Amino acid sequence: MSKKYPLHGNEQKEYLTEDFWALKDVDLGIKRGEVLGIIGRNGAGKTTLLSIIAGTLAPTQGKVVLGGKVVGLFNLGIGFQDELSGQENIFLNGAILGASHKELAEKLDAIIGFSELGNFINMPLGSYSQGMRLRLGFSIVANLDFEILVIDEVLAVGDALFQNKCFERLIDFKRQGKTLVITTQGLDFIERLSDRVVLLDHGALLFDGPVQEGVNRYRNLLNTEKFFVGLPQGKRPGLIENTKKWADNTSDWGHKFGGKEITIDTVEFIDQRKAKVNRVNTGEPLTVRVVFTAKDKVENPHFGVAIFKPDGTYCYGPNTDFDGYRITQITSGQGYFSLDYRKLWLAPGEYKVSVAIWDKNEVVAFDYHYGYYDLIVTGPHRSPGGFLNVPFKTECATVKERLTGWFTGKNHLLVPGFDLPPAGFPVAIAHPDLKIESLRFLDREGCAKNVFMTNDPVKFVIQLKHSLPGKNNLYLWCGIFRDDGVYCQGMHLRVGKGKNYAIIFPRLPLLPGGYRVTAGIWDAAENRFLVYQPGAYSFQMVFDKQDHGTVYLEHAWEWGSI
Amino acid sequence: MAGVIREIWTRKDLIRELVLKDLKLRYSRPALGFFWAFILPLVTVLIFYIVFSVFLRARTQEAPFVLYLMSAVFPWGFFCNSVIAATTSLVENKNLIRESRFPYYFLVLAVVLANLINFLPSLAVLIVAAGLIQRGLPGGILLLPLVLLVQCLITFSLALIFALFYVKYRDLKYLVEISLTILFNLTPGFYSIYLVKDALSPLLFKIYLYNPFTGILIFYRCIILKGFYQAVGNEFAWLTSAGILFCFCGAVLIAAFLLYRSRKNSINDYLSY
Repeated sequence: MSKKYPLHGNEQKEYLTEDFWALKDVDLGIKRGEVLGIIGRNGAGKTTLLSIIAGTLAPTQGKVVLGGKVVGLFNLGIGFQDELSGQENIFLNGAILGASHKELAEKLDAIIGFSELGNFINMPLGSYSQGMRLRLGFSIVANLDFEILVIDEVLAVGDALFQNKCFERLIDFKRQGKTLVITTQGLDFIERLSDRVVLLDHGALLFDGPVQEGVNRYRNLLNTEKFFVGLPQGKRPGLIENTKKWADNTSDWGHKFGGKEITIDTVEFIDQRKAKVNRVNTGEPLTVRVVFTAKDKVENPHFGVAIFKPDGTYCYGPNTDFDGYRITQITSGQGYFSLDYRKLWLAPGEYKVSVAIWDKNEVVAFDYHYGYYDLIVTGPHRSPGGFLNVPFKTECATVKERLTGWFTGKNHLLVPGFDLPPAGFPVAIAHPDLKIESLRFLDREGCAKNVFMTNDPVKFVIQLKHSLPGKNNLYLWCGIFRDDGVYCQGMHLRVGKGKNYAIIFPRLPLLPGGYRVTAGIWDAAENRFLVYQPGAYSFQMVFDKQDHGTVYLEHAWEWGSI
Repeated sequence: MAGVIREIWTRKDLIRELVLKDLKLRYSRPALGFFWAFILPLVTVLIFYIVFSVFLRARTQEAPFVLYLMSAVFPWGFFCNSVIAATTSLVENKNLIRESRFPYYFLVLAVVLANLINFLPSLAVLIVAAGLIQRGLPGGILLLPLVLLVQCLITFSLALIFALFYVKYRDLKYLVEISLTILFNLTPGFYSIYLVKDALSPLLFKIYLYNPFTGILIFYRCIILKGFYQAVGNEFAWLTSAGILFCFCGAVLIAAFLLYRSRKNSINDYLSY
């Protein structure tokens, strides 16, 4: 079949001398239950072809013969109305996609369940986030009855979790024997899902056959034309200035995503005594050992383990890709990988752990246990509210009194009466006789800077001005906050007669991003801050390596077959 | 035609959802909700009444002026609102047309049906008012569904034709709006047909009287207002008028579907840019 686009009078005269043929003599047969991937550059005619198959466009010449009910998905949530509730939109959108009221009423619970929108389903759609709209839109399609599904790029939207969920559902459809016709620029998607690919270029059928061959042809096509060479390929050179600091969506915690070509069988936390645990002492080693089964041989997987706070704060999430490992292949059968944290500098508390085996480009996981495992870190809590326990030393220059950080077990206690620092960056408190003159960040050479590399030594130097002879239970407190207001760690030292104080990090393992330091002077007798300078000092961390989270924890990977 | 009816029947849920969407968007948020469907036409009638009856002292011999006015303004409002909203409906819903597959005339049909539902309350008010003021209704009231159906079909057909042309010719919207205003003032909505008779030559008056727009208006009045038919019976041969009306209805309906059939495959091409 072929497709010609008509032209408006003016355009025809001025720009084009002949009609534009978006598709030329495309002859395609698709078997029932086949998954056909259509690939090609932008403008190759993919969407036109799909629209014709789905019946939204009519061919100029030729015809399409369909062997069942077809649903065309060119956009998630067609016809969604902001003023109507989520549920009303299910019926509207479903009806547009060709479902009857009865069918939708029967599947309503399944759709709402799949969308995970809960009570939001009765709120007007206008109050939804983009992610919620996409979830709702896909949930409707995911639960409809059809024989043929035509999907145009729609799954490229949404975050990684959403894509995983979609992918999983597509695999389900495939198993149910439904016919899928898919276009996407995500070649991994095509490689993993399709039985056959069609390569289109300038409206003509360039290739029709096995997936790998087609994808390779397409890659060659991209490389032969200069225009497409030199597009950024994921990682850019130079220093990383920020990292992912939050979990994607904590409401998805406890779910498993992915195409399940590899399944994660067991995940174990192992402490330094080689015992299986679910609690570990702060500052001690921890090994996460994962056993998986591969159904078939899989190429270029990545392993990843991420730790979050229950509120979604991203603590640390290394993966083998970031760390520069290339795992060429996993053979079918059982295998394992393990991640050894040398020292777990997380503050005592509860944490959620995600474990994932990703495909090459981290588009769709093979198996992704998202926020699935609970880890409890125990030990003395020196910085309530914070989630880091990074080692430091303190110094009071004048008195020549040298206090060491608590982790060495010496002389370092909680500030009496001090519970949590005020959230965010509230109003400052000043005092007539007490003042924090300055707070500077020094590098290893003693130069004041405010940009540091992750794992550089950093010294906070604080100069006070005070004339309060009667007070002897004052504490200098410094809190490190992320730029988004999340409290990381607090440090404190006792204020003596001297004016100069220092907090020394032999290595400051904060990951790239902006940080702010709040400094205050706490009166333990009155249980209040006499001086409080919220977020008054800031510094920036950079790193030569990509990572996710807030703190770099030294670690090592290991993997193999069993 | 049978194909069209089957098409509508198999996808009746979609039409229902489209109509519901229209009504919900209109009435779910305002505090007075569906009451606006009563309030708006009544206010229009009130304004006309004050201007023409109180200020200009217009009188109609065929029926009490208020009823005379309501019986024109309400059905006209239905026709006019439907046609104006439906003319732009295909273009406004181009995302739906581009991304999903259903007969596009559903969009026009849904607009007309939503406006019909919107019209029913005022029609009820008109009938109750006529019944009270005139102490009874004519027997012709039983023909109301038929008159309503004819009006719906004419409205839908014209709306579909305009909507299809509007896809290509975007001036049409303004032309339609102007024409409807002119047409309203030309039909005997707030003046007696006897005034027109005095002003026009007999031939022109015949044309005026039997054109479908005047025709359907007179039919509405005959079946709702007691004594109306007797008042115009000398001038108005109902059988002729009904014949013209049916022919017109059939003609525009067929024209609309022929036009739809020839355009349906290319609409999407024109909406794409």
